Amino acid sequence: MPSPRFPIPQGTLDMLILQILSLEPAHGYGIAQRLEQISRSVVQVNQGSLYPALHRLEQKGWLRAEWKQSETGREAKFYALTPAGRRQLAAEKDSWARLSGAVKLIFEEGSR
Amino acid sequence: MIELFNWFRRRSLERALDRELQYHFDHRVADLTAAGIPEPEARRRVGVELGLAQVREEIRDVWLTRWFRDLLYDLRFSARSFLRSPGFTAVTLLSLALGIGATTAIYSLVDQVILHALPIHDAARLVLVDWDGDQVGGGFGSWNLMSYPMCRDLQRQTRFFDGVLCRAEIDVNLSAGSDPKPVSAEIVSGSYFSVLGIGPALGRVIEEPDDAAPGAGPVVVLSHDFWQTEFGGAADIIGRKVLINQHPMTIVGVAAAAFHGVDIGAVPALWIPASMYAQAIPGAEDLLRSPRFWMQILARLRPDFTPPQAQAGLQPWFKAWLQDNMLRPGFPIISADRRREYLASTLAITSAPQGHSPLRRGLSQPLWLLFAATGVLLGLACLNVAGLFLAHGSARGREIGTRLALGASRGRIGRQLLTDSLLLALAGGVLGVAVAPFAIRALIAFLPQDLAPSALRGTLSLRLLAFTFFASLIAGLLSGLAPALHAGGDSLVSSLRERAGTGFGGVHLRKCIVTLQVAFSLILVIGAALFVRTLAGLLDKGPGFDTSSLVSFTLDLGKNGYSAVDSVRLIDRIHDAVRVLPVTRGSGIARNELLTGGAWNGDITIQTDRRFTTDRLVNLNAVSPGFFATLSVRLLAGRDFDQRDSRPAREDGRACAIVNEAFVKRYLTGHDPLGARIGEGSGPDVKPDIPIVGVVTDFNYRGLREESEQAFFPISDKNQDFGATFYVKVRGTPEQAFQAFRGVVRNADPQLPILGLRTVEEQVTRSLNTERMLAALSGSFGALALLLSLIGLYGVMSFVVTRRTREIGLRLALGATRASALRLVLRDAITMIAAGIAIALPCAAALGKLVQSQLFGVTATDPATVAAAALILATGALAAAFIPAWRASNVSPTDALRLD
Repeated sequence: MPSPRFPIPQGTLDMLILQILSLEPAHGYGIAQRLEQISRSVVQVNQGSLYPALHRLEQKGWLRAEWKQSETGREAKFYALTPAGRRQLAAEKDSWARLSGAVKLIFEEGSR
Repeated sequence: MIELFNWFRRRSLERALDRELQYHFDHRVADLTAAGIPEPEARRRVGVELGLAQVREEIRDVWLTRWFRDLLYDLRFSARSFLRSPGFTAVTLLSLALGIGATTAIYSLVDQVILHALPIHDAARLVLVDWDGDQVGGGFGSWNLMSYPMCRDLQRQTRFFDGVLCRAEIDVNLSAGSDPKPVSAEIVSGSYFSVLGIGPALGRVIEEPDDAAPGAGPVVVLSHDFWQTEFGGAADIIGRKVLINQHPMTIVGVAAAAFHGVDIGAVPALWIPASMYAQAIPGAEDLLRSPRFWMQILARLRPDFTPPQAQAGLQPWFKAWLQDNMLRPGFPIISADRRREYLASTLAITSAPQGHSPLRRGLSQPLWLLFAATGVLLGLACLNVAGLFLAHGSARGREIGTRLALGASRGRIGRQLLTDSLLLALAGGVLGVAVAPFAIRALIAFLPQDLAPSALRGTLSLRLLAFTFFASLIAGLLSGLAPALHAGGDSLVSSLRERAGTGFGGVHLRKCIVTLQVAFSLILVIGAALFVRTLAGLLDKGPGFDTSSLVSFTLDLGKNGYSAVDSVRLIDRIHDAVRVLPVTRGSGIARNELLTGGAWNGDITIQTDRRFTTDRLVNLNAVSPGFFATLSVRLLAGRDFDQRDSRPAREDGRACAIVNEAFVKRYLTGHDPLGARIGEGSGPDVKPDIPIVGVVTDFNYRGLREESEQAFFPISDKNQDFGATFYVKVRGTPEQAFQAFRGVVRNADPQLPILGLRTVEEQVTRSLNTERMLAALSGSFGALALLLSLIGLYGVMSFVVTRRTREIGLRLALGATRASALRLVLRDAITMIAAGIAIALPCAAALGKLVQSQLFGVTATDPATVAAAALILATGALAAAFIPAWRASNVSPTDALRLD
């Protein structure tokens, strides 16, 4: 039986992480939960693959990490967007909009 | 960069990651148990969900790219394993450091002397304009000589050139408020600094108006170094008056700091405009208009032309110019044949980003030769290290076998081995760089002393470091390649089955390496033998006259403002004083110093029963009575000059001449030389009316290698003989004589500098600098090469013997004699040595053509030399092989058989 959820397209995970963090800083587990919620079980995100993505974004300077007390009282690593990250998110949103617009156009053309 | 940083803080990164993942894990488990899933099940599920091992590995890749991380681990592993076997490490490191250090040192000289472009704007567009053909007309100086009018005419060829300059190297006497001292200078056209694009550090440089008319620019520009050393960098230097050859001139500027003139071998202290030729070059006739050749012409090519294009484009102009030039005042009258040759001359334009340099011309070939030799030496060192690595590899056979068995790929292990050698080579490179400055300074000491200290530097440049880095890298790759490939090729099972110390042999490969080493070192030993024989031959031959207790010094009176007549008079007075000194046993004077590489030469017209001109230049000198006797040069016929010859009744010309044996042999066979008459020059207007009054044995004039026809005239005041070199046979130590001579000259004129006061033996040594450098360096390279290959041979033979101990023991037990065991092992060694020699001989013969011009009295394929070199090598190699062979023959059969 095919899974009702499809795997997340390549490259979009970074964008989703940036989007989530643009609202407020969060730790890894928090981001995972938000992803789960947003995607409403449509998009399947491997929980493990979240962390390499976070570290990659941090190394690129788009995220800044900080150890802070979490809601449970334990220290957790909180990620926040840097100005560079914010710019990157805007750029990705923009190119995403253009891509999806173009794809939509092609589909409409085909169905006419 | 940040990745490298991550490597050093990887421990704290790992700890933070653990905490981060643990937090996620715990939180998730807590959430799941809250949702009613039992804890063990929740833990299991989260573990699967996260895939922790995989995630960690992926994140490590984020921190540090995989190959880089592997490389760093490999490096750490290599370093640790090297520290564990310090003996092996020291030997390999030393081999590589020697090879790399020697190559770096020689390359430094190659770079400075041959390759380095002038520190000027866009040096690539600088070209040398030279004459190809019969120049006609005299000149002075050396190499690529042209006339001043020619430079002026070329400046109008603006289609091809953005600017044209001419310059000549001269010596002047400079007095700045104190006694005059000789300094080297460059006399230059007004365009010199603007064409090169060199500005002043202070004041101004020489400009066109300074060179507008004869005497127009009594100014000098100092070099930055000279300003610093002589004037202490005085800020108020501009406008100061100095005397150049006793003529007042004004310092108008200091040139930019990095600029040292266009000739690396002759660093000028100051620049003088060509308009001041009469003051700068005493006795020179109208040099600005005459067609005499005395300057080099350099030009800045327009960007849209290549040198060959400009050369082709200028030929029509040059043809017309040649015709015009014949009309110039001072152009000699020449025969029709000569005129045809003259008119067939062409202009040669060659790229000259390094400027003009006779030093480069003389040293290029020896330096490239030495560079090639160090290349071979470095190759040998690499082979040695490769051999050592193979041996080391066999000791590590079990370790490598185990790693293979545990799943390491052969590529991965090969890479590890390559990292080993690269690390070693780079460490060797660092060591090499550390010793290179000393080696370079030692090398410079071999070069002609008067120019080396100012022109060449023993410091390391960025280029040199880059070179060393690449040399080390290549050395590392070369020495690691064989072991790395080898690691990829052996069978896993066999390497595990064999015992430690015997397995993973690569004996075949090592034998090939040793054979190559033998071949390489034989080539170097042959080269060394040839150069040593050349030096020994030259020293043995000597200059053709007796140098013992002979001291010389030079006076140049023209530069102290003397006229020709006064010069000769003062020199006579000084000579009289020298003659009566208690230290003097005999003395003579020559206008030109011997064995300096230069000479006064010209064509000679000879009148016997017919009139003819010499077919090549004859070396000329003017000497005093007693000169030949002082040098113990034998008079073969006729008489020596006497006092009457020096004061001829005639207004000009020479009273009489003495020629050497070679001159007689070439031009006067079948005639009585004493009846012949000669004249200076080659034109139809030359009157051959100087009688030959004597013949002397041959001796060297320019240098020890040269054999030439020579003619001597008496020194006289009628012939612009301004300067003189005194040759004095002395009693007692040279130092006492030096003291006495200084006193005599100071008495005669306290202002007169005394030049080149030294023993003639020292002069001989100086003139053999290049030969000495080649012999000493190739000798030490040869010895090093020999040592390296003997170590290699010894190593591989010991290894073979260890491997075959059991077999030899068996043979001995079965009745073989010790001699036969010895033969068994030595046969192997002899095969390698013979194969090495067989490879080397044809290579040496082929390379011989390249070195022939540097040799003297021996051909590059001289059988005795080659045989001796091969014999030295074979003896050494056999001795190195004999030790392990002897050990093998002394194996006790019982021990050998128990060894299992």
